[in-house]
Amino acid sequence: MYEKEKGLIDAFVRQQVDRRELLRRLGAMGITAGAAGTLLNLAQTRAWAADFDWMAHKGKKLKLLLNKHPYADAMIANLQAFKDLTGMDVTYDVFPEDVYFDKVTAALSSGSSEYDAFMTGAYMTWTYGPAGWVTDLNEWIKDPAKTNPNYAWDDFLPGVRKSCAWNGKPGGELGSDDAKQWCIPWGFEQNNITYNKTMFDKVGATVPGNLDELLTTAAKLTKDVGGGVYGIGVRGSRSWATIHPGFLSAYANFEQKDLNVSADGKLSAAMNTPESKEFHKKWVQMIQESGPKNWSTYTWYQVGTDLGAGASAMIYDADILGYFMNGGDNKMAGQLAYAAFKANPAAKAPTPNIWIWSLAMSSYAKDKDATWYFIQWASGLDHAIFGATKMDFVNPVRQAVWKEEAFRDKLNKSYPGYVDMFDVSAPGASIKFTAQPLFFDLTTEWAATLQKMVAKEVPVDEGLDALAQSIDGQLKEAGLG
Amino acid sequence: MEHTSLIERILRGIALALVVVFFMFPLLWIFLMSFQTNETILSIPPQLFFTPTLQNYTALITGKLTSAAGTLDIAFMRNLWNSVFLSVTSVAVSLLLGVPAAYAFARHKFRGSEDIAFTLLSFRFAPPLLVLLPLTLYFQQLGLANTYFGLVWVYQLICLPLILWIVRGYFEDISADVEYAYRIAGHSWFATFRKIALPLAGPGIAAAGLLAFIFAWNNFVFALVLASADKQPVTVGALAFVTASGIQYGQIAAAIVLSIAPTLALALYAQRYLVEGLSLGAVKG
Repeated sequence: MYEKEKGLIDAFVRQQVDRRELLRRLGAMGITAGAAGTLLNLAQTRAWAADFDWMAHKGKKLKLLLNKHPYADAMIANLQAFKDLTGMDVTYDVFPEDVYFDKVTAALSSGSSEYDAFMTGAYMTWTYGPAGWVTDLNEWIKDPAKTNPNYAWDDFLPGVRKSCAWNGKPGGELGSDDAKQWCIPWGFEQNNITYNKTMFDKVGATVPGNLDELLTTAAKLTKDVGGGVYGIGVRGSRSWATIHPGFLSAYANFEQKDLNVSADGKLSAAMNTPESKEFHKKWVQMIQESGPKNWSTYTWYQVGTDLGAGASAMIYDADILGYFMNGGDNKMAGQLAYAAFKANPAAKAPTPNIWIWSLAMSSYAKDKDATWYFIQWASGLDHAIFGATKMDFVNPVRQAVWKEEAFRDKLNKSYPGYVDMFDVSAPGASIKFTAQPLFFDLTTEWAATLQKMVAKEVPVDEGLDALAQSIDGQLKEAGLG
Repeated sequence: MEHTSLIERILRGIALALVVVFFMFPLLWIFLMSFQTNETILSIPPQLFFTPTLQNYTALITGKLTSAAGTLDIAFMRNLWNSVFLSVTSVAVSLLLGVPAAYAFARHKFRGSEDIAFTLLSFRFAPPLLVLLPLTLYFQQLGLANTYFGLVWVYQLICLPLILWIVRGYFEDISADVEYAYRIAGHSWFATFRKIALPLAGPGIAAAGLLAFIFAWNNFVFALVLASADKQPVTVGALAFVTASGIQYGQIAAAIVLSIAPTLALALYAQRYLVEGLSLGAVKG
């Protein structure tokens, strides 16, 4: 590289020159945007490696437990870079998602030292953390001797970062000052609208701006598109996963909560307020009028498959599900578009609940310092940019990646509205549930109640009162209420 | 001799055909799906006529799966081999241990024989996870975790009680007098077992072996908990096509066809023994 260009890029890495200025001056030197990106990556890697002893654990071995997911694929594709950087050897086991958490639970509950780090969801750490199966990572993040000075922990989206930290007290606020960082966010999903633009154009529908419009638009699509296409895909199986995507995102937008936390830390059900009942009525009506026929069996897979195959006109679910369905051999690839969704007309911005694929360190890891080296590399900016620009690592959790022109351009080219959707909804994105150990039991019961309401087995008011009563009983029994 | 009219025979033929179609339809549909792309499988309404493709089988055999999220490595053939190896070895070990044990329980009443036999059967009562989690700890200390040897050992929980109890019933059905006659002729106990008891119990042993093979083949949780990804059977491996970026229905169908082929072939071959062996072993005189 010429000294002049090298000096300029290094100045950028030292944050003495901003990105726009860098690109302008490189352009003036006759270097194209593509070549500039490559040079920049080289310089960033050099900077990343320069101020930190990455070779401190040379020769050590780590083993990872991974879920079969595009995030894991992106990491595996870039793993040689970590091996070269640290001189460590890393092996991994990849298990299908259907059985992944069974494998994790079995490994952790038996105290197995086979795996040093593993992928997890933030919700799962509400069980793993208090059980002592995972390690509080603050000890490493806050230790300058063990963490690269360029790691930029503050670069993580605040809502996402905080959602992975909990003090272990039932009802304790996520990301509070005394919170333990049970895992490091890796990639995350916001719940918004993905819609079939061709179908919307065909019937002259516009993107809904609130819950009432969502109901009418979904009904119009069901009626007018034809060919058995239904208006809106949402999950409905008897599982916690039915509550956490669109449903809770919209619910939280009306400032409704799952549980109340009293001043003395006691929990009680909060889903039978008049506002909540009103919201539930609309949600149930939407599914009855415009949802899939066998909604009560719908999981991530059915919601996504229907959108990709052109059986549904829109989904209110994870944005990355919509992202995946717009590519590959999906029939509707290239016809999908994205929009942030604010269910409550009075709300200022969307409040998507999120799922976060994260990296956690097993309490039984053989060498925790070495394991942290892997976790900080995998959640570092370098790898995040590699994953986002060269693989399907969406959504990255680092703000710097979202500022990368190459990444934004890639999304804008093939995923219309995705970047705007992200920019609008990311500030309000966080976990909207109350952290407590009965999370999975209570949300599953909530989903079961929703099923009864949709099947007209129980009126909404009655169903929610009964649900609240049952939840209060369970909380009391567990000593939480 | 009873004669059936032509109409009756035709009606019977139609009824039989309908029954066969009803029961075989899911298999036929899966077989057809295995030659289609995801797009044709998911087309609305489903298509009966399509251009067949071998890409699903190619992906499985070459281990490269192209999906919405790019090219992924899949280890299906390795999973298939693991299933074959684990099932065959486990059944072989179970036969080696279980058949003599079944003979002993059937012929020699000794102190505690019923208790021991029942204890062996009780292995099948316990929920697998209840046994597996403590076993993981022991296996790690003994160095058996994540080894084929350890897995074959644990698979005995499935195969051994099955073989022991089925074959025992069968041995009990064989008249002991035949064996006594052979013993009186001056032959040893072992020769009697080998030359008289084993051949007479042949169909029962084949049936028990086949059933144990099917149970071992269908097992899911043992290897999942006790072993790494490279030692997983096909039951776990087939789930790899259900990914966050979509379900590869074509590859799942091809994987089902490939994974049921060995058990189907074995079942068809041994069908005669299976029915004969199970029914004879089950009827007590």
